[in-house]
Amino acid sequence: MAFFEQHIHEEPKTFLSKYIFSYDHKVIGKQFLWYGIFFLGVGGIMALMIRWTLAFPGEAFPLIGGLLFPTTNGVIPPDTYAMLFTMHGTIMIFYAITPILIGAFGNYLIPLQIGARDMVFPLLNMLSFWIAFVSAAILFISLFIPLGAAAGGWTSYPTLSTLIGSPGAGQTLWALALFLLGISSTMGAVNYITTIIVLRAPGMGYFDMPLSVWGLGLTAILNAIFLPVLGAGLLLLIFDRVFGTTFFLAGAAATSGTGDPILFQHVFWIFGHPEVYILILPAWGIVSDLLSFFSRKPAFGAKATALSMTSITILSTLVYGHHMYTTQMSPLLTQTFMTLTMTISIPSAIFFTNWLGTLWKGSIKFPTPMVFSLGVVFVFGLGGLTGLYLATVTTDLYLHDTYFVVGHFHYTMAASVLLGGYAAIYFWMPKMFGKMLNETLGHIHFWLTFLGLNGVFMGMMIVGYGGMHRRIYNPFVYEFLEKLIPINTFVTWSAIVMGLAQIFFVYNFVYTIFFKKEKAEANPWGVGTLEWTIPSPAPVYNFKEIPVVKCGPHEFGNPALTGDRDFQYQTEEIPAT
Amino acid sequence: MEMANNGPHLERRKAVSSIGMIILLVSFAMLFASLLLGYTVFRLTNEVWPPMGMEMVPITLPFLSTLVIAASSVAYMNFEKAYSAGESKLTSRKVSYFMTLFLGLAFMAVQFELWAQMADIGLYVSAGIFPSLLYTLTWVHAAHIVMAILALLLLLPSVFKEHSDTKIIWILNIGKFWHFLGVIWLIMFVVIFAF
Repeated sequence: MAFFEQHIHEEPKTFLSKYIFSYDHKVIGKQFLWYGIFFLGVGGIMALMIRWTLAFPGEAFPLIGGLLFPTTNGVIPPDTYAMLFTMHGTIMIFYAITPILIGAFGNYLIPLQIGARDMVFPLLNMLSFWIAFVSAAILFISLFIPLGAAAGGWTSYPTLSTLIGSPGAGQTLWALALFLLGISSTMGAVNYITTIIVLRAPGMGYFDMPLSVWGLGLTAILNAIFLPVLGAGLLLLIFDRVFGTTFFLAGAAATSGTGDPILFQHVFWIFGHPEVYILILPAWGIVSDLLSFFSRKPAFGAKATALSMTSITILSTLVYGHHMYTTQMSPLLTQTFMTLTMTISIPSAIFFTNWLGTLWKGSIKFPTPMVFSLGVVFVFGLGGLTGLYLATVTTDLYLHDTYFVVGHFHYTMAASVLLGGYAAIYFWMPKMFGKMLNETLGHIHFWLTFLGLNGVFMGMMIVGYGGMHRRIYNPFVYEFLEKLIPINTFVTWSAIVMGLAQIFFVYNFVYTIFFKKEKAEANPWGVGTLEWTIPSPAPVYNFKEIPVVKCGPHEFGNPALTGDRDFQYQTEEIPAT
Repeated sequence: MEMANNGPHLERRKAVSSIGMIILLVSFAMLFASLLLGYTVFRLTNEVWPPMGMEMVPITLPFLSTLVIAASSVAYMNFEKAYSAGESKLTSRKVSYFMTLFLGLAFMAVQFELWAQMADIGLYVSAGIFPSLLYTLTWVHAAHIVMAILALLLLLPSVFKEHSDTKIIWILNIGKFWHFLGVIWLIMFVVIFAF
């Protein structure tokens, strides 16, 4: 039921049209993947610097410290510390996780899994990557200008982010970079949504789409609706800084007139809360699929999973106030937001139980993508449950702005998205690059990462519960935090373990792509979704013939199956019993 | 895309790009909605409006803007109709196209006049929240109008060339954007200047 005939692309001949300004969704996906992995490294090193300062204040950062901070002999100075946590948050959320999950896998998977030859607007797709590239360049340059990069936290609340709080150009460039990135993501979102609506292969209803596509599509909807809200906030911030408007200045900070700093928080979180679901929904979708694929069982309640993800998408737009309980909001409002936030646990519990139902009595196999998916189940469960304490007004008033919050949101939107992203990389590697990643290195990578991240984020929740504020530079100078020094050191060592674990991944990834000779089969995992019906790596035109879909994506162990396979391709008809 | 005369094919291409355009317009709408939300918050929380003893902008120029932009939308509709009708309405096509372009530029001219007038009565950008809001909303809207005028100029060659089915898709989509900006201005006029 595709809306129009899709032509077979010609293979691009020149280097420029093939690798740089490519219209091919697969190449754009890979561009986003490299871009995301690069920034994951940058953000990760920043995280290590932050942790180093918290455990060993006054000591030089090893190896590269002397090079980066020559004036202090390698010790991270306080103002740089503020820049580091700001840029760590910004880079990880907008330049690492978003490109990997949404940019790379959104681009790569949506056309392949719905049986299309490309996105519906290939030019828009290419522009989306290059605008993201320009945006990253602006952000990167801002690190090297006088007075340094933005330092107001990734949320950039006024008055920290106005000219009074951060006089340098760094904050303006930060806002500009994010505005551009918003344009890029909106373009991507328009493309994804339209592609899903019009280019599904004949016979493929919405519930025949793999859950990965559901997750990515819902994310795109949130992106299209809520990124412009952030855009508006950033525009106002830029106007405040450049043209001297007074939207976010009040009291002594304003030379004239009265703005309202809280307005920015409203605008930011109207966007910001959907944003955390923008990050997590693709990972949920991918994990829902992978759990079924490696349990060799149909996804339990796939329709319910899809619908509960949809209802979370809707609910996520109504709960942003729980980020602002301490802004003297009226009790009626805080209680409303609390109730709405709690409501999200219902659909979350539904698909979480569906995950467990998928695993139940499956013949579970444990290749690397599956262990990463199980990791997501664990960390998301933990992260979700700790969210309840932050959603409840009474406990939140105490926990607000402590490391408990940091631990919670890293569990939900950093750890589970990171693990989900790795699961996706290990799983779709053969289709993307035509080669399999090494399983042993993959398992070592998983276990070190998993132990490391639990040490980090569990430790963070404990110090947060102990009252440590999330943005202090040196916890050792406060008497009430002295007892937390050992655990802070433990968290830092865990972070170092987690950081070093990534070396296994980088080695594995680079070796496999550039040096490994052995080719992967067309369908190494034995999975029936459409992308596995074509050769590995996927050819330029994706599908020689547009496939006709006859069944759902998770047909495993159907008693009606013939032959020695335990799965059915989506293009095959299940014989009537 | 050598399928110029394939009727259902064209209809489908139209539908596809309409879906894309509508999603894009939802995004644009959210941008203006957020800005208007900010305006509403400030307006409702201030006891007197405009605050700090400032003068309200006289309604004449905004009203003129509204008339101009409404007329430009009508002109564009005529252009769409004339283009679809093909070669038989060549004159009407040219007239309505240049009428739209002229009215678009006229709208910008009135906006510049409006900003000059605001400066005359002491409403400077940095003079407080009220002028900040006025300038920001009109600036952001005007920036979109500039984009729309540039898009309109993209159509200039096809006004003189013969009728083409792929161009009609462009014309319809730019039209959606054009009318959308008209509607946004109408809302801004009602919310900011009329009441």
